Amino acid sequence: MTGPALLLEGITKIYPGTVALENVHFEALPGEVHGLIGKNGAGKTTLVGILAGLIEPTEGRITIGGKVFSSLSRARAKKEGVAIVPQEPEIILDLSVAENLFLGDLGSAGAIVDWRKLRKNAESILSMYGLDIGVDLQARDLSLSERQLLLILKACVVEDARVIILDESSAPLSGKDVQILRRIVEGLKASGKAIVYISHNIDELLGICDRLTVLRDGRVIAERERLGLDHQSLSELVIGEGFSRSSARSGSLPPAGREEFLRVEGLSRWGVFEDISFSLHRGEILGIAGLRGSGRTEILKALAGIEPADEGTLFLRGQPIRPRTPGSALSRGIAYLPEERDAEGLLRFFSIRDNLVLNSIDKFSKWGFLSWEKCSRLASEIFREVQLKAFSIHQDVDELSGGNRQKVVIGRIMANSPDVYLLDEPTRGVDIGAKQAILSIICGRIRSRSGVIITSPGLDDLVDVCDRILVLRNGLVVREYARYQFDEKKIFLDMQGFGIRNRRGGTECQAV
Amino acid sequence: MSGSLRLELALLDNIIWLMLAAFFALCALTIPNFASWNNLVNILYHTTIMSMLVLAQGFVLMSGHLDLSIDAILAFAPGVAILAAVKWFPGVLGNPWIAIALTLAIGALLGLFNGVCIASLGMNAFMQTLSVSIILRGLILFLIPLSIFPLDPVYSFIGKSRITVLGNLPAAIPVTFFIYFFFHILLKYTVFGRNYLATGGNPRASFVAGINTRRMIILGFVTAGVLSAVAGMLTAGRQDSVSNTMGSGMTLLAFAGALLGGTSMSGGKGSAFGMLGGAILLGMFSNALNLLGVKVTLIHAAQGTLIFLAILVDRFRAALRSSILRKDQLRRLHHHSVHEQAEKVISS
Repeated sequence: MTGPALLLEGITKIYPGTVALENVHFEALPGEVHGLIGKNGAGKTTLVGILAGLIEPTEGRITIGGKVFSSLSRARAKKEGVAIVPQEPEIILDLSVAENLFLGDLGSAGAIVDWRKLRKNAESILSMYGLDIGVDLQARDLSLSERQLLLILKACVVEDARVIILDESSAPLSGKDVQILRRIVEGLKASGKAIVYISHNIDELLGICDRLTVLRDGRVIAERERLGLDHQSLSELVIGEGFSRSSARSGSLPPAGREEFLRVEGLSRWGVFEDISFSLHRGEILGIAGLRGSGRTEILKALAGIEPADEGTLFLRGQPIRPRTPGSALSRGIAYLPEERDAEGLLRFFSIRDNLVLNSIDKFSKWGFLSWEKCSRLASEIFREVQLKAFSIHQDVDELSGGNRQKVVIGRIMANSPDVYLLDEPTRGVDIGAKQAILSIICGRIRSRSGVIITSPGLDDLVDVCDRILVLRNGLVVREYARYQFDEKKIFLDMQGFGIRNRRGGTECQAV
Repeated sequence: MSGSLRLELALLDNIIWLMLAAFFALCALTIPNFASWNNLVNILYHTTIMSMLVLAQGFVLMSGHLDLSIDAILAFAPGVAILAAVKWFPGVLGNPWIAIALTLAIGALLGLFNGVCIASLGMNAFMQTLSVSIILRGLILFLIPLSIFPLDPVYSFIGKSRITVLGNLPAAIPVTFFIYFFFHILLKYTVFGRNYLATGGNPRASFVAGINTRRMIILGFVTAGVLSAVAGMLTAGRQDSVSNTMGSGMTLLAFAGALLGGTSMSGGKGSAFGMLGGAILLGMFSNALNLLGVKVTLIHAAQGTLIFLAILVDRFRAALRSSILRKDQLRRLHHHSVHEQAEKVISS
């Protein structure tokens, strides 16, 4: 073996207003599993994007198998033998398992598809890794976990790449399938491939990797051999210690004995979350912390009536309610800020003003007729309040940056002055300046009149603004923290599921 | 946003009226008798039916769907209503006012059926309305093998009669203008209209924002059905009969009119005012070809070219819009940096 299969040197990526990666060094040797971990916003996604050829680095060199590049294109990366299993599964639902597995290289027998051979090859690959799926099933019939495994097999086994990047590939996998993934990775290692293994799950990384690189704020904080690490030391590296940050929160906690806005009792949705109970007061910010897939988004969507819960009761100012649609939730004063800003939050063809008044349009009409003048007045007011950086309320939202678009969506639900705000990752994908602005709006005007439930990609935001934090793991609330108890590290470990005494009395502590 | 920029964008949004004006000027200069009052009235009169279908199609397009059954409803709704009035229940339904109500109701019900199938049962709009269109065409061929005529004067009023006080203007023209005006107000100044456009622009976001998107889509198809039935009454009135060939082949041209008028195929965008321009351009175009003595058989090919042109204009408009905005942004950036430099100079 001569040198690393993949080598990144001095990689820097600058976005307007923010440095996503700074002088990053990363290498993966043949026959090695190299883990990559970091909090949200640490730069993992950018790094993966650069490897995949989706993002062009501002500076730096990429060496793959001895060839040097300053940036990669998607096709180039593939040609040089870099395979990626992306976070969002890309699978063709209407094709069979066998076709999905060999997609892009179906015609091993010339222009005509040799179905028998295709099926036989697919069967042999699936059985080799103990995957019990019929090759003639449609991808649509598979569970999420099986779909993901299929993609992993495609990237790892079928494409025969030199470097394989698994980007949080284990998140949707079920327990049994994680074992299969482990077997696949062992097999790859034995055949001398380099594997870059990205995950949030410390336990899993420690179990599978040979070496680990920790990213924090766009820099490589540490590169260590697996043997010198344990849970404690690795979590400390990931979170960092003794750093200070200006808080978006000003002033003290609101006075006790406030009005209760929302009470949730025994909320459950089968297989997603279970027996969730909490209450929310006026002026309170309640954070929900949890890994992806822990059920945090789903709880908010249930409260907002988008995907109603199967069981449980909601009390709004003491009155039991049952929102079945977003419309009914909204009319009772529960507003939801969607996690996926562009898909669920914005109307591209509409101007800033028209987006801002979308929820509250009924207020500006008489007998169904609109007063554009009143709409514009409110829109201008909110425009100032959320500090939108745009030239006019008549500009189309397409032309705004991500942070400003997010402010439009927040402004839109503010226009309705709801009692309860459900903010699903309000700071996702926005630059640092917009993030501070958004957090201070939440702590300022929004909090002063309403109750807020918030989730965030990074714990630091929650620790920064919340009065209480509920920690969610696998659809269960495993712990609750009051503000004076906040400890980023403890919360992080709870999210990971270390040493938690769950409500059935057992411990979920995993052995290494 | 500067004034000139706003003007440029406004012109671009109304590019159809610019095209219409240019085409009119060209024809007026080259074709004798084109610009005469009589011919202009003639153009508008012949546009009325198509303009109802353009509005129907454009309205459904705004909600992010499409309707291939509009020309079949055009034939089916008046056909069945007249059949009921003349043959099936002449005693009960013989009253022409009831026949008119029945025509509109049939259009609404067919639209409701389309809408429920598509919005509630999740059927694909293309397949669903295609099947309805074939079914209706087949039924009408079976029910009305031969034309039924003459019609009651009350029924044929909006299609046939002329209003003497307005200089012998066909009644169909003011009726069309009124309906367009109504839709302009509906889309621009009512809560329903905004929620309807929002639904087409981003159905998921609109649903999350609390809009009953399913109802919006169903109402879109119902509206298209009613407008098609009105188009059917205009057609029947003009020929003073109902026949099984009414309106055939008009659906696809209606797409062209809507597209020319600035309606987006992907939903969320469009205006009644623009669609009226699109419909008139279609009418003016075939009128000009007629006057030039182009063979009827060739007119189809020419109209096909116009559809192609509509798509081209749509692409061109999108590209031009983004280039105008980019230029404006550059100009502002430049302006900004000049300011900053000036400030630096002053402070140093």
